[in-house]
Amino acid sequence: MRLPREDWYDRLEPLLARVEKPSRYLDHEWGAVEDQDGPFHVCMMYPDVYEVGQPNMGIAILYNTLNAQEGISCERGFLPWIDLSDLMREKGIPLLALESSSPVASFDIVGFTLAHEMACTNIVEALDLSGIAIRAAERAEDDPIVIAGGPSVWNCEPVSPMFDAILLGDGEEAIVEMCHVVRDARACGMTRAEILRGLSEVEGVYVPSLYDVVVDQSSTEWGYAVSREGSDAPEVVLKRTLRDFSKTDPLPQKIVPYMGIVQDRLAIEVLRGCARGCRFCQAGMSYRPVRERPAGDVIAAAQEGLAVTGHDEVSLTSLSTTDHSQCAQILHQLNEDIRGTGVRVSIPSQRLDSFGVEMAAEVGGAKKGGLTFAPEAGSQRLRDVINKNVTVENIDMAARNAFENGWRRMKLYFMMGLPTETDDDIVAINEVADRVLEIGRDVVGKGPKSGVSVSISVAVFVPKAHTPFQWAGQLPLEEVRRRQQLLLHSCPDHAIKISYHDADVSLVEAVLSKMGRRGFELIYAAWRHGCRFDAWTDQFSFQKWEDAAQEVGFDLQKIASEQLPLTVRLPWEHTSPAVSKGFLQREWRRAAEGVTTPDCTMTSCTGCGVCPALGVKNAIVGDRHVGR
Amino acid sequence: MSDASTQKRLRVRYRKDGRLAYLGHLEVLNTINRSVRRSDVPFAVGNGFARRIRLQFSQALPVGASSECEFYDLTLTEELEPSRALDMLRRATPSALAPDEAGYVDRSLPALEAWLTRADWHVQLPAQGVDVSGLGESFSALKSEGVLSYLRGEKRKTIDVSSALVSWEISLMDDALHIELATRSSNDGSLRPQVLLNAAFDRLGVAGSDVPVPRVARIGQWHEGEDGLLVNAL
Repeated sequence: MRLPREDWYDRLEPLLARVEKPSRYLDHEWGAVEDQDGPFHVCMMYPDVYEVGQPNMGIAILYNTLNAQEGISCERGFLPWIDLSDLMREKGIPLLALESSSPVASFDIVGFTLAHEMACTNIVEALDLSGIAIRAAERAEDDPIVIAGGPSVWNCEPVSPMFDAILLGDGEEAIVEMCHVVRDARACGMTRAEILRGLSEVEGVYVPSLYDVVVDQSSTEWGYAVSREGSDAPEVVLKRTLRDFSKTDPLPQKIVPYMGIVQDRLAIEVLRGCARGCRFCQAGMSYRPVRERPAGDVIAAAQEGLAVTGHDEVSLTSLSTTDHSQCAQILHQLNEDIRGTGVRVSIPSQRLDSFGVEMAAEVGGAKKGGLTFAPEAGSQRLRDVINKNVTVENIDMAARNAFENGWRRMKLYFMMGLPTETDDDIVAINEVADRVLEIGRDVVGKGPKSGVSVSISVAVFVPKAHTPFQWAGQLPLEEVRRRQQLLLHSCPDHAIKISYHDADVSLVEAVLSKMGRRGFELIYAAWRHGCRFDAWTDQFSFQKWEDAAQEVGFDLQKIASEQLPLTVRLPWEHTSPAVSKGFLQREWRRAAEGVTTPDCTMTSCTGCGVCPALGVKNAIVGDRHVGR
Repeated sequence: MSDASTQKRLRVRYRKDGRLAYLGHLEVLNTINRSVRRSDVPFAVGNGFARRIRLQFSQALPVGASSECEFYDLTLTEELEPSRALDMLRRATPSALAPDEAGYVDRSLPALEAWLTRADWHVQLPAQGVDVSGLGESFSALKSEGVLSYLRGEKRKTIDVSSALVSWEISLMDDALHIELATRSSNDGSLRPQVLLNAAFDRLGVAGSDVPVPRVARIGQWHEGEDGLLVNAL
C-alpha cells in the first residue's frame, strides 16, 4: 500500500548528529523548488549519495521540466550513506525525498537514473529502504510507478524486473508525457496493468512486463525479448530523441549545494551526441545525432547562471566539447566576460590535437594544472582498430604544444583488453608515455626541477551493448593481471607513473553489461550478500559478488569473457538507440581489418542508420573540419 | 581592479540556524562565498593564485551548533551604505544563514578568527537521568585539573580547561537541562561544548552513545581586551 505523504524530517533530524556529512540530507539549498504542492508528485532518485547524484545533468533537466508543469511537482531523492540508512532501518524510517521529507513510497512516480551498471545494487537498496516491492511484478495497485532512464539503459534487462517502465533516450519531452499518462489513468481509476499499457504507447518507453524472454538456438543463453501477444507493445522500442536541442533550457542546474559535490561548478551542456565513432564507446553510439547549442545561447546561459548561482567556475560539458563548431568563439567571449572576477571556465576533456591544446590554453589562463588526453591505445594499429582516429603525429604535436604552453603534468588514459590486443600493444602504451616524457624534457629541460611528469591510467575494456564491440568477450581476469604486470615491467622510465583499474570491478561491470533479464537473480543475491555502493572502491567486495554468483549458479568469468557470434540474437536488441545492427557488424569487421571510419559531422554520412530511423539529423551551428 | 588603499572592510553579523546548523565550517564558507557573488556587492578579489574573494570568518562553529552571532569581514572595492550592502547580501543568502547587521571596521584590525576570543554558549539537553549537581561538580573538577586530553576524529588533542572555561550556570526547566557556558579561546585552541560535556559525563560514568545529544547554540562572541573587558565586534 502507498505510504501517506507526510513530513518525516522531525524523525530524521535526531539522527543527523550521529552520521557523517549531515549536509547530505538538509535540502533548502539556494535554487531548490520548495513549493511542492502537486497534486501529482514525482521523485527523481539518483541511486548514490547526494554529492555524487546532485551534479547529474539529467536529474536537473527533468526536475526543472516537471516543476514547470501545471499540477506536477518533482523532488530529488538520493541514497543515504550506510551510516544513516542503517540508523533509519533501526528507527523504522523509510527512504525520504529531499524537498518535503516525505516517504519516497508516497509518490505517484519514482524515477531512477541508470548512470552506470555498478549502481544496480543501490537501486535494490533504495527500493528496499523505501518499502516499495523490489520486483515490479509484486507491486500493489496503488504503489508508485517506478521508472528509469539515463545513459545506462542500453542493456537494461538485468535491472528491468525492478521497473514498471524504462525510458530510452532523451527525457525532456517523454517524462511529461509519462506523467500525464499515469495521472490521467489514475484519475480514471485504471488498473496498474492498464497504466503500464498506456506507458508503452509513449514513444521511447519500454515496459518490461509486456515482453517475454525466449531462449532458442538463435540466441545466447540469456535469450531475447519478444512482445507479449495481444499487448500491442512494439517489437523494438526505439529511443526518444529531442529534435531541436537548441530550444531546450540551457541552464537546468540552478540548485547551489551546501556541501562540496563531485562536480562543484555551473555546468552548461553545449552539445549532445558525438559521431567520432570510437568502437568501444556506448555514449558515442547511443546519443546520436550530434546537436549543438548556438554560441550566443551558451554565453548568455553562462552569464545568467553565474549571476543566479554565485559559482566561481563554469564548465562547458558534453561528450566532446572541443568538437563544438563555435568552441573558440564561446571560450574567447566567456574569458572576456569573467576577466577580473575570479571565475574560471573549464572543459571536461581535450581533443588530442593542437586545437584541443589551444582550447585548453584558452580556459587554463595562467593556471596550469595537469592536462589529460585519452589516446586509449598504445599502437597505431590498435588505435585504428578502435577507430580512435588519432595519429602519433597528433599525440606528439599535442604534447609539444602543451609543454610549450606551460603545462608540466600530463595524464594519459588507455584501455587494456581491447579486441585484437597483443603484448606489443601493451608495450606500446609505455612507448607513447615515454615519447611524451621525452618531448616534455626537450621543451622544458631535464631534471626533477623541470616539473615534467607523465602518468598513465589504464582501464580494463568492458564490452557494451549497441557498440561495434558488443560481441567481444572481456579479457580473462588472469590475463588482465599478466598484462598489467607486463605494463609495469616494460615501463622504460621511473618518471612515468602507472595506475590501473581494479580488474575485479571491471569483471563485474562486464557481467552486468552482458547478462539478460535472468541476471537480476545475481544482482538481487549480491545485495542480499551485502553489496551496496559497489562503485565506491572501499565498499566493493568481489568476494560477495562471487558468493552471490555461486548461490545463483552463475560463472562470472565465463559470462564476461564469452565472445559472441555476429549473427546471434542479443538480449538487448528490442531496446534500440537506432544505430543499426548492420552498421555495428560492419564496424566490427572494419575493426578486425584495422580500417577506420570518419566522423559524419566532418565528412559525409557513414550509414549508422540513426537519422533515417528517427527522422532526425545532425544540427551543427557552424562548420566542422577534420584536423581544424 | 580598485586601488587597495580605497578598499573597505565590511563586517557582517549573520546567523546559522534551523537545518543549516548541520553545515560544516567549510560548507558555510562556500555558501557565503557564493552568496556574496550573487549579491552583486562590489567585492574585492585577492591577487593570489586562486583569485578568491577577500573574505574572513570568525571561528568555526561545530557541526550541529546554531548561532545568532557569527561574523565575516568582506573587503569591498567601494563604499556602500552598510544598510544597502546588508540588504543586497540578505537577498542573496539562504534565510538560515541570513546577515542581520553590517558596519565598516578598521582595516588594520587583526583577523576575526584570532580577534574574537570570548564566546557564550547555550546548551540544552534532556534532563532525564542526568545527575545535575554531579555535572556541575565535574565542570569544577575539570577546570581545576587544567589540561584535558580528548579525541577529535582520530586525532588526539588537548585544551587547557582552566583558561578556556570561564564560567557556567546550570538550570532545570521543562524537563530540560539548560547550561550557559562562557569560553575563552587562544592560539592553543578553543573549548567546544560537546568536548566539555563528554568529559564531564565521562567522570559521571556515562560514555559513548549514552551521553545525551545536546542542542548547542553560540549566543555571543567578543574580543577580550587586555583589561579583561569585552569589546563588541560591531
